[in-house]
Amino acid sequence: MTTKAIPLPQSQAEEHEHEDEVREHLLLDPRPRSELNRMVMEAMQTTTPMFWVVVSLLALLTTVCLFGAWLYMGLTGMGVAGIRRPAYWGMFIATFVFWIGISHAGTFVSAILRVFKAEFRRPLTRAAELMTTFGLAAGAMYPLIHLGRVWVGYWIMPYPNNRWLWPNFRSPLVWDMIAITTYLLGSTLYVYMPLIPDVAMARDRSKGWRYQFYRILALGWRGTEGEWQRLRSAIQIFAYAIIPVMFSVHTIVSWDFAVSKTPGWHSTLFGPFFIAGAIYSGVSAVGMILFLIRTTMKNMDYFIRAEHFDAIGKLMLVFSFTWTYFYFNEYILAWYGGDLSDQYVWQALTKGEFAWMWYLMLIFNIAVPWLTLWNKRVRRTPWMMFGLGFVINIGMYIERYLIVPGMITRNRFPFMWDGYAPRIELLIAVGSLSLFLLLYALASRLIPIIPVWEVQEGQVATMLRRIGKAKVPTISELE
Amino acid sequence: MPEANVHLAVFKSIDPAAEAIGKLRELGIQEDEMNVLSGLPYTSEMLGRSKVWSMIPKFSVAGFLGGFVISLLLNWGTVLQYPLHVGGMPLYPIPTTLVLTFEISMLGLLAFTFLGVIWECGFPSFGKKVYSKEISDGYIGVEFNCPSDIHTQVHEALSALGAEWVHRTEAVDL
Repeated sequence: MTTKAIPLPQSQAEEHEHEDEVREHLLLDPRPRSELNRMVMEAMQTTTPMFWVVVSLLALLTTVCLFGAWLYMGLTGMGVAGIRRPAYWGMFIATFVFWIGISHAGTFVSAILRVFKAEFRRPLTRAAELMTTFGLAAGAMYPLIHLGRVWVGYWIMPYPNNRWLWPNFRSPLVWDMIAITTYLLGSTLYVYMPLIPDVAMARDRSKGWRYQFYRILALGWRGTEGEWQRLRSAIQIFAYAIIPVMFSVHTIVSWDFAVSKTPGWHSTLFGPFFIAGAIYSGVSAVGMILFLIRTTMKNMDYFIRAEHFDAIGKLMLVFSFTWTYFYFNEYILAWYGGDLSDQYVWQALTKGEFAWMWYLMLIFNIAVPWLTLWNKRVRRTPWMMFGLGFVINIGMYIERYLIVPGMITRNRFPFMWDGYAPRIELLIAVGSLSLFLLLYALASRLIPIIPVWEVQEGQVATMLRRIGKAKVPTISELE
Repeated sequence: MPEANVHLAVFKSIDPAAEAIGKLRELGIQEDEMNVLSGLPYTSEMLGRSKVWSMIPKFSVAGFLGGFVISLLLNWGTVLQYPLHVGGMPLYPIPTTLVLTFEISMLGLLAFTFLGVIWECGFPSFGKKVYSKEISDGYIGVEFNCPSDIHTQVHEALSALGAEWVHRTEAVDL
């Protein structure tokens, strides 16, 4: 018997095609909660031999390059680092600024997108928030590393003491310490609160040490109306409160530079310029981490889809424009203003010893993203987004390098000009990157990396609604 | 609720659960003798329940004010101990004290918001509690305290509304 396919009428075929396209969205492709839980638990509990090889390698790198090198520097003296007159602030501080910048990703993705009810954020929030916590942990070590004799670090604490160091809470370095502490504590709590229902879910499905671990983290959560409402209310307050804290942290980091008279640093633009750069590098790093999660963890291709890379790609493009705007502002004022000290700095960047880095930075931060991210196919291809995120973060690291040791070596006194060559700083930077990746790898197998309840809430709230001849996604207000 | 009289009915979706709450009310179970357990944050309006009273925003405000006072003590109080002139600034310069004031006030706000959740929810609270692992699988549990003379009637009514199961005291170790 032969069968003959009868094509659907054109309008119906188009409708089906449109519906299939819409169903590509995670929130329009719901699965039962038990299935979502199973997928997340499986992703968390599955480790391959390769995973342990990578973790061991990262642990080794962290021990040798970060703690080993730091110990060696402590025992030998700061002479093993490249920082010396005039570059007292070298790669240590550049890397510190880089990590604090990366840490802005979590708050941006989680808090700002939550406030604006951007639905695509739902599966990404925890992955981004963890970047904030671990980025801050890596970054917060740098002021201590930079101290040199860290064991007498308490000498600089502003309190009345017999060393005649009396309280002065009006120093940018004290602002820095307090701001980073506030942000680290705030963002850790902000990771933890939405995690409670998910660790309770993990508790219900675990045995042995994992059960005890999740039981303690879940605090006895049952999901009563009161618990949900209080948690909801607190998350909402956190989302609004942590945004100005995020802005303040990088503004204050920028003031470490901008309140001084050093050419290239003393600028009113530095606060917003640093924030734009931080979000730019942070969002790019989110694209990278999403790719790694999706390719190395089981079932993650269901939760992290092309639409999420697309959205992150658009944000990267917008922040590339923003960063370029500020950079151009900074450049043109120095170039046109005619201040001789500023001219020397810009000459060093555009024609001098730093020129190759400066142009590389412009290519990585402007040319590459602008030439690629306008294309939807690029934005929706995960490995391309990983590559772009990598390139942009290299560009942003160069930017920080040029700002810190680059500009300080071209200060107002030409007789004090000198070069800067990082030495043990390079090892320590590799070590801090390893620490970040190690913490992230371990966390990805210990806590649910996808906020299951938030994803399910989004799936419950989103549905297709017929308007005229088309079915369009509609989101109900559940909160 | 005395545990011996506590019952748990588990529903697959919110609609029968909301109806069951109405039914329990009809059968004479008081509002404060019921509780809903769920894996999603359904609002009180969706469940047909009166709003849960919460002081979280007040905790936040109290934390902010506490942080504000501490920041004033650090910024202005420490100067009283030893007047220190920095770069020609007055002893009490407002612009440079604003930074610490903001950060410590916000730290107070964030910390107290979290502590508010811990306090109001009574966390951490381990031990035996009425709970079913199906709750985190998306089922909705209606926990209620029911006099023993009507519990058969209540169980039948809830089963008729679509309860997956209704049991007396499902206390598990949490």
